[in-house]
Amino acid sequence: MYFLKKRCVAMLLAGGQGSRLKVLTENTAKPAVPFGGKYRIIDFPLSNCVNSHIDTVGVLTQYQPLELNEYIGNGQPWDLNSSHGGVTVLPPYARSKKSDWYKGTANAIYQNIPFIARYNPDDVLILSGDHIYEMDYAKMLRYHKQMGADCTIAVRPVPMEEASRFGIMNTKEDGSIFEFEEKPKKPKSNKASMGIYIFKWDILRKFLEEDEEDPKSENDFGKNIIPNLLNAGHKLYAYEFDGYWKDVGTINSLWEANMDLLGDEPKFNIYGSAGRKIYARNYAMPSAFIAKGSEISDSFVAEGCEVFGTVRHSVISSGCVIGKGAEVRNSVIMPDVVIEPGAQVCHAIVAEGCVIKAGARVGADQEGNLEDLKITVIGKDATISEGTVVEPGEII
Amino acid sequence: METMGIIFSNIYDSFMGALTEKRTSASIPVGGRYRQIDFILSNMANSGVRHIGIITKYNYQSLMDHLGSCQEWDLQLNTSGVVFLPPYATGHTGIYRGKLEALQTALPVLSYGEQDYVILADSNVMCSLDFRKVVEDHVKSGCDVTVVAKAGLADGKTTQHFALRIDENNRAVSMGVEYAAPAGDLTGMGMFVMSRKLLLETIQETVPHGKYHLERDFIMESFNKGELSVNVYPFEGAALFNQSVVSYYQNNMALLDADIRRSLFKGDVPIYTKVRDEVPTLYGKNAEVANCIVADGCRLSGKVENSVIFREVKVEEGAEVADSIVMQGCTIEKGASIQYTILDKDVTVSAGTKLLGSPEHPLIIRKGVTV
Repeated sequence: MYFLKKRCVAMLLAGGQGSRLKVLTENTAKPAVPFGGKYRIIDFPLSNCVNSHIDTVGVLTQYQPLELNEYIGNGQPWDLNSSHGGVTVLPPYARSKKSDWYKGTANAIYQNIPFIARYNPDDVLILSGDHIYEMDYAKMLRYHKQMGADCTIAVRPVPMEEASRFGIMNTKEDGSIFEFEEKPKKPKSNKASMGIYIFKWDILRKFLEEDEEDPKSENDFGKNIIPNLLNAGHKLYAYEFDGYWKDVGTINSLWEANMDLLGDEPKFNIYGSAGRKIYARNYAMPSAFIAKGSEISDSFVAEGCEVFGTVRHSVISSGCVIGKGAEVRNSVIMPDVVIEPGAQVCHAIVAEGCVIKAGARVGADQEGNLEDLKITVIGKDATISEGTVVEPGEII
Repeated sequence: METMGIIFSNIYDSFMGALTEKRTSASIPVGGRYRQIDFILSNMANSGVRHIGIITKYNYQSLMDHLGSCQEWDLQLNTSGVVFLPPYATGHTGIYRGKLEALQTALPVLSYGEQDYVILADSNVMCSLDFRKVVEDHVKSGCDVTVVAKAGLADGKTTQHFALRIDENNRAVSMGVEYAAPAGDLTGMGMFVMSRKLLLETIQETVPHGKYHLERDFIMESFNKGELSVNVYPFEGAALFNQSVVSYYQNNMALLDADIRRSLFKGDVPIYTKVRDEVPTLYGKNAEVANCIVADGCRLSGKVENSVIFREVKVEEGAEVADSIVMQGCTIEKGASIQYTILDKDVTVSAGTKLLGSPEHPLIIRKGVTV
């Protein structure tokens, strides 16, 4: 078979468990977690790829892949169902010797060297499947070429006082990286790594193979591959990105990222800049029905919903029913949830398929800093029985 | 049992006023996110019909754009799928006058098909119907033709396009075309099942003699001569006939009824449509929305009631929409108000403008206009 050479192949790391999302990722991989009413987290990097004209994407899966695999399918929603390239799901596989799960981010790519090699790309783009953002990778790729970099790392400015929580790139004036520090006690810069890398393919391949030989390595991009490249004197550049970017790795950040979609001037414009939509797999849902007597303000309500009650400052995903007299405030309601008459949901995330029975109360109104909010979480397909009170911060 | 489908896309164009100026009646938008053809196409696709011909004659760009490769209906197939059948104009044939004549266009598809049965269907009835049941019923009946029909519409006053009276075995005992049938008669839903062989013979025998009307010149005429046995399949679910601008308006409003929505969208089969990847609808801080069907991608900040709102509609703060159908991409600016109005796609109602139709004569604003 003849494989057309590709300029750039994207590798999307989607195998992590995302244990800090607790019940939300108990039976599904983090990239498959619903977001923004009708999306899943993985729609963002996949749509970014297509919008950046990258047509060959490998998705590395490992943890609870069923739902994710089914969701990606043949890649048609993202125009990645091509005969030459497109999306390929890459689970770990058994080999004649040295079979293993993906041990770390670098090892996951190492195990799929044959996949990348078929397309013999100039560059490989490494992405992770747990960030909400809209980014033109083509611009980053141009910068990478222009600088003649061996590796380009996307960075974003973070407040200096928070810099010690991130992987920080210390750069010279020309953007070249001279040092990488993981969670430095005394940060020298505020350029935090976004976990988005572009490598020259031949260099990446060499370092992955060397890293695999090193028994002490944790096989991680941040901890091993990047420092090794720096130590070997390769040219690493930081590509600065100042758009919206959110790691939705915790309950509170996932909740906040959903809230960031709301308002007249939302923090994150999910409509996308001209011609750069976020694509998602769509299901056959009729338009929403908004009943007489309902009140909806400052909220997203997706198709397939029936709203009879009150919804304020919330994201209601497709296929939900909000019963008469029910109230939803400051909450994220994932697809196919039924909130029965008179129930109340405040400052909560309710996962797919839950039923909140009549008169139940989930969470409570709160004010204060994001870190202090006690977001209540109801896991997938749970039923909260009639009249039950679920305390703020409780996770069921 | 292998069955082939033929859908007529233009037959009722002339009854739909400005709505069919630039599209077929099959591609008239309905119910917030659908086009009329979505219903019949989903009914066929979800009943295992894998080979479907769509007969069309003009204005069919919007229809082709809507259907694309038909992947939403899982009909993007190597071996069969959907074929468009525009007029096959040779020296002998031209633009057709009725369904029988139109079927000439489908002769090649019908002759090369290997299916035993054919479903012929109009595209202007909204319903959720499992054709497997109809075909089974047809085979069991031993009749030549099965007509899908709805009870309870005939009342002795309103003209029925095709009315049938049946005996206790659901066999037609009499029928009429374009007449005010008395209560108790059933109304044909424009859906017929017969064997492919009979259909081929019929086209070859009738059309050269100048016959073109399927119900009148074939089914009724042959039935009256005693040459054709007709079985009727009474459809129990909701069936909305879009036969005029007024019925189109009423049927959109009928979707505000929970029972009708249930029958259409949670009925025998799911209804699919083209995916447009819209963001969910955003409700503004002061939005007042009551008793409405709302598609995705809208930004609603004003007052909207008793209306059907399609995708990407913007209702600004202080604007009012009541008892109206607002199609994709319309903007109702601050202080504007509309009632009993159908806004075709991409209409802008400028600030301060007031539009008022009536339930009997809804005002239609043509596609792309700013008023």
